[in-house]
Amino acid sequence: MNGIKQIFGKEMARVFKDKKMVFSVFFLPVLIMILIMTIISGLISNMEDDIESHESVVYVANEPASFKAFLGDSKQEFKSRRIDGSGMEKAKKDILDGKADLIIEFPDGFEDAVGGYEAGKTIPQVKTYYNPSEDYSQAAYENISGGVLEAYRQTLLAGRVGDLAQLTVFTVNSDNEDMIIQDDEKASGKAIGMMLPYFITILLFAGAMGIGTDMIAGEKERGTMASLLVSPVKRSSIVLGKVFSLMTISGISSLIYVIAMVVCAPLMMKSMVGSGTDGLNINLSVQQVVMLGALLVAIAFLYSSIIALISVFAKSTKEASTYVMPAYMLVLVIGLLTMFTTGDPTQTDYYIPLYNSALVMKGILGQNVTMVQYGITLIETLAIGGVLLGVIVKAFQSEKVMNV
Amino acid sequence: MIEIKNLTKIYKLNKKQMLESKTKNPMKTAVDNLTLDAHEGEIYGLLGPNGAGKTTTLRCIATLIKPTEGEIYVGGHEVQKEPEAVRESIGFLTSDIKLDEQFDVDYMFGFFGRLHNVPQDVLAKRKEELFTYFGIKDFAHKQIKELSTGMKQKAAIAVSLVHNPDIVIFDEPTNGLDIITARSVTDYLRKLRDDGKLVIVSTHIMSEAEKLCDRIGVIIEGNKVAEGTLAELLKMTGTDDLEDAFFELYKERKGEL
Repeated sequence: MNGIKQIFGKEMARVFKDKKMVFSVFFLPVLIMILIMTIISGLISNMEDDIESHESVVYVANEPASFKAFLGDSKQEFKSRRIDGSGMEKAKKDILDGKADLIIEFPDGFEDAVGGYEAGKTIPQVKTYYNPSEDYSQAAYENISGGVLEAYRQTLLAGRVGDLAQLTVFTVNSDNEDMIIQDDEKASGKAIGMMLPYFITILLFAGAMGIGTDMIAGEKERGTMASLLVSPVKRSSIVLGKVFSLMTISGISSLIYVIAMVVCAPLMMKSMVGSGTDGLNINLSVQQVVMLGALLVAIAFLYSSIIALISVFAKSTKEASTYVMPAYMLVLVIGLLTMFTTGDPTQTDYYIPLYNSALVMKGILGQNVTMVQYGITLIETLAIGGVLLGVIVKAFQSEKVMNV
Repeated sequence: MIEIKNLTKIYKLNKKQMLESKTKNPMKTAVDNLTLDAHEGEIYGLLGPNGAGKTTTLRCIATLIKPTEGEIYVGGHEVQKEPEAVRESIGFLTSDIKLDEQFDVDYMFGFFGRLHNVPQDVLAKRKEELFTYFGIKDFAHKQIKELSTGMKQKAAIAVSLVHNPDIVIFDEPTNGLDIITARSVTDYLRKLRDDGKLVIVSTHIMSEAEKLCDRIGVIIEGNKVAEGTLAELLKMTGTDDLEDAFFELYKERKGEL
């Protein structure tokens, strides 16, 4: 027990006595994350503002007088340029070059066709042309082609039938303010609940990765591991001391990241998740916190064991970093799978190592995980971590693996 | 205090090592049927050229590697059956074993003291004694990476002796040291011997073995080819100094130089 305590203390001291390491392990990733998210959010916001403030340039070919009058009455905010059929090629080139955003092409004799329409006759077609590669053009298409032309169509229809209400059989939720029935607690953590399992699993692994490879492979490489191996401490105590310290370091770093994320996410991501920030607030019950805490300890234990196992078989930190990368990629993919999977997971999913822990974390935040599923995941995660720990202890006893 | 019975250590070479050793045989016998006894109150020297098997023998004693065959008893404890008890009773130092350079000497001394369960008051006394003797006090709070080779070696020696072990095993202890530091190390080893400890050193420096060791075991190609005091070795080989004695034994074993 003394050996575990001393090794644990030394590894913690190695990190916490070094201000540069404390900054680079715990704070730099948070600062980078906040900076990146803020920049992305700012850029998106700027882009939206820019598109919103942009006055669309719209070519209108064969513009009917009624459309011109409609535009005058409705005071639409875009610059329209009238062209005839022969100007279409130039207009299309301007769209391609980004000089104009949209072409609305009315057919010849549009008003006659609309005014003199009889059942069975061909319905006149208004064509629009835009460039989806250009943001201004895309926005003009969505706003004008969908909005202005639809409003114009309604105006013409009203002229044809007199009272539009006659064409309305029923409305949907026109004055139903209570249409949303949801559990506020569940709803409050929806967005964060979708992102947290992804970020936590990645951050737990990433937090342990750099330190873990140096802690074992680095010590082998520098020859400092041998000094521990000739001390009277059991090999298992050395392994446990190192894995526990790795768990603690990765746990602390993830905790800092998660706190930073929960605190900063509403500020950083407002423009990314829509107008409201309800989905970014999170309220956890005591039971949820306890379940999450125990699960995070188990995940940190498993990840630390995986990294330690990989490191113990590597001859150098560089080699360990290379070996650990595929495991990190696997964790990334599993996190993404959990983030974007819809529908209820099957019972079998809770037996898949790594994937089950991300699923259960998502389930705890969304309050849709059973105690059986939680128990299976927790026990399996701890058991696999324990087995890996046994393999590491065995490897520590091998002179070939330890390179002594 | 140390009893080695028919120690054999065979390494399995990988392809790269076979290429480097220019051999097609994947099995390399580093130590071959070596038997040795060393007792308290003596400095026993393992003398031999590079690759003779000195370090391998010392590593087997220190439980870093396992013997392929044979038995080793350290203070009555068999190395494979009671490795922790063996490690408790020895202070082991080799050039491949280094202190974590991110820490200072003071921290490392305390850390290894705690690993050896040395009580705090005893630890403080040991620190005072060893730091004073090796002149470590001046750089005790400097990070080890900032120290010179000599300072690092002094620090490593002090740390390896933190628990006041009965058996001290040093592999080439003066290697790379300046003459003054080397002298302070050999003087301290003599002091340990005088205090009743068993000191085992490996060396390929004839003058060091001649002056320092009470008994010398000459190892060539994993075999102990001779053992005795300096006088006994000189008499055995009919030579006047250890260097000549060693070459006589080497020629006898290898046929030529």
